[in-house]
Amino acid sequence: MTAAAIDLTNVEKTYRGRIRALRGVSMRVEKGEVFGLLGPNGAGKSTLVKILTTVVRPTRISGTLLGAPVGDKAALARVGYLPENPRFPEYLTGGQVLDLFAAMAKVGRADRKRRAAETLDLVGMTSWASTRIGRYSKGMRQRIGLAQALMNDPEIVFLDEPTDGVDPVGRREIREMLIRMRDEGRTVLLNSHLLSEAETVCGRVAIMVKGQVVRLGTLDDLTRHSRRYEIEASGALPAGDGWRTLIQQLNAEVRAVGEDRDRSLIVAPTDEAAAVQPLLDALRASRATIRSVRPVRASLEELFIESVQSMGEEGAGVGGQKGRAKHGGKGGAL
Amino acid sequence: MTQTWALFVESYRHLNAKKLFWIALVISGLIVAAFAMVGIDEEGLSILVWRLPIPVSTAILSADVFYKLMFLNLGVTFWLAWGATILALVSTAGVMPEFLAGGAVDVTLAKPISRLRLFLTKYAAAMLFVGLQVGVFSTASFLVIGLRGGSWEPSVFLSVPIVVVFFSYLYSVCTLLGVVTRSTVAALLLTMLVWLGLFAVNSTEAILLMVRTQAEQSVQWLEGDIASREQALAAAEDEEPKEGILNTLKSGMNSNKKEAELATRKTQLEDARKELRTISIWQNSFVGVKTALPKTSETIGLLERWMVDMADLPAFNDGGDDGSTRVRYDGGDRELPIPQDNEAVERAVIEKSRARSVGWIVGTSLIFEAFVVGLAAWIFCRRDF
Ligand SMILES: Nc1ncnc2c1ncn2[C@@H]1O[C@H](COP(=O)(O)OP(=O)(O)O)[C@@H](O)[C@H]1O
Ligand SMILES: [Mg+2]
Repeated sequence: MTAAAIDLTNVEKTYRGRIRALRGVSMRVEKGEVFGLLGPNGAGKSTLVKILTTVVRPTRISGTLLGAPVGDKAALARVGYLPENPRFPEYLTGGQVLDLFAAMAKVGRADRKRRAAETLDLVGMTSWASTRIGRYSKGMRQRIGLAQALMNDPEIVFLDEPTDGVDPVGRREIREMLIRMRDEGRTVLLNSHLLSEAETVCGRVAIMVKGQVVRLGTLDDLTRHSRRYEIEASGALPAGDGWRTLIQQLNAEVRAVGEDRDRSLIVAPTDEAAAVQPLLDALRASRATIRSVRPVRASLEELFIESVQSMGEEGAGVGGQKGRAKHGGKGGAL
Repeated sequence: MTQTWALFVESYRHLNAKKLFWIALVISGLIVAAFAMVGIDEEGLSILVWRLPIPVSTAILSADVFYKLMFLNLGVTFWLAWGATILALVSTAGVMPEFLAGGAVDVTLAKPISRLRLFLTKYAAAMLFVGLQVGVFSTASFLVIGLRGGSWEPSVFLSVPIVVVFFSYLYSVCTLLGVVTRSTVAALLLTMLVWLGLFAVNSTEAILLMVRTQAEQSVQWLEGDIASREQALAAAEDEEPKEGILNTLKSGMNSNKKEAELATRKTQLEDARKELRTISIWQNSFVGVKTALPKTSETIGLLERWMVDMADLPAFNDGGDDGSTRVRYDGGDRELPIPQDNEAVERAVIEKSRARSVGWIVGTSLIFEAFVVGLAAWIFCRRDF
């Protein structure tokens, strides 16, 4: 078994003896994967990343980061970190910020020059390198923050809400940067309460609610139970027995949809195309007008809401079976 | 090394971006330029070509001592240890609160550097403001004392470590407050308050020391006076009594009066001793309190101790011209006052102050600073950001 990038068992954090931010988090992030840490505000995502970067002291921990025990300062030379709402000294220029933090990460002078040119180019800030941060827009600060996180050519990058406060164009660019980091072989831990970016770039995700990981796996795994076919037909379904038996066999349901309830939707809980073909034949045979047939899976957004709701209802339990999903892959604002 | 250097460069850039840093530097330049404009010769003082109606000339002070005293009293005591220090505190009070602000400190903490080292380097780098200011000021003063006073005094540069150490006492307090409150304004105002408190304790102790010295001299004088009176009375008794009733009566009255005076002196001595005891207890307890606190004024005072010989101080070389000691009469008794030589008191106070060891003045102050910085570092190292 190769060493994981992050391997955590039972991490706990109680702030000031009162606020239980993490209640026994265990997870493993493999090298080279883009891992999404998702959850609503206050779930403990930032706390977890801060523990890994020694910004916050854990109450209880056993685990490793890049093979070294969490808290080991030397390992941080191979880590890049963009905190939530980063603030850089206003009197420094973008270039000076990169140089300062790279030096703090023990990058030599010559390497700093070279890396600064590379990362500035990567984030598209080359022409702004000698302008003071004080004059940057929020999005530009975020880009410099990203460049800063990459200055030491890190093996693992922690990004805490990198698209927070960034406009749609900036978001798309940040998403492209994430893909590029993955292609360069870096491990990325992406924190977000917005699912859209995680959905498109993350291999695996963990959903955290109230200091616990409630779901963990690939997007396919997490959405498998909600996969289905949706068949939409115009008007009410015609009379006939053929398709009714098939619907019962498939365990599908029929609903009237549309503004005037003038369309019918058949939801078949299966992800095999072959399984719905007889039903289509039967419907066509009874002269129904089929408008569309599409495979659907729950979006992360839905999963997320489900998880939050189930946490709200059952406390620590993991549950929520109902997939009231409409369309797969909601694109969000990207 | 890379990291330490980077933190110092960052501090320098921070200063460079502050207007106050440059304002302070310009004021320093103006003050030294003003020194250079003042001239002293046999006839007195002048500014450029204009004579000043002040009776200070090279007859009282040699030119180099004059410039040195000007450097010390105006340049160091008033400007560096007062005006420039306030500007420095205003400029640097924000260093810790800004550094610790949410979103700002995270990136640095996530770097491969221990929190303690990070904190101490940051602390040391904040001395850069004062170090640079004093460095520039003393270099310029060195030139003025050399060119105008005719004496090249490398000891002027002692002001760099001394003023930096002095500032560091205050800055340690400012840092602790900055770490605890994370507010620049709170840190600044409270530090000023602490400084004022230190100043008050120091001034009180200085006054008590003077009163104590006065009391000591009174006791000493009374002891001498009583001894000589007793001698005189004993001699009078030994003397053959003169013939004649009138004479006997006269000498009897005389000796009665003398004995009465002696008795008064003895009560005066008793009172003076009592007073000395009380004042000594007070003064000693203030010295005790000062031992635990940073000694700001006395640290700055070290510079005068090292740069100017006691014999060169004006208080010591003008006594000779008229020979009379300025005497102030003291004590409640109008008939038999106790003379007080203020000049001797002043001299004794300076001697006593100069006799205080550097170890006590700087050493115990540094222990205080280490304690305060240690506490701030401990809080910083344990905090969740
Ligand atoms: N420095 C802190 N001191 C006290 N409580 C904190 C601190 N940081 C976070 N918390 C609390 O811990 C919980 C988790 O916060 P956080 O990790 O920031 O969540 P997320 O990043 O998922 O929004 C919240 O209830 C928050 O109020
Ligand atoms: Mg967060």
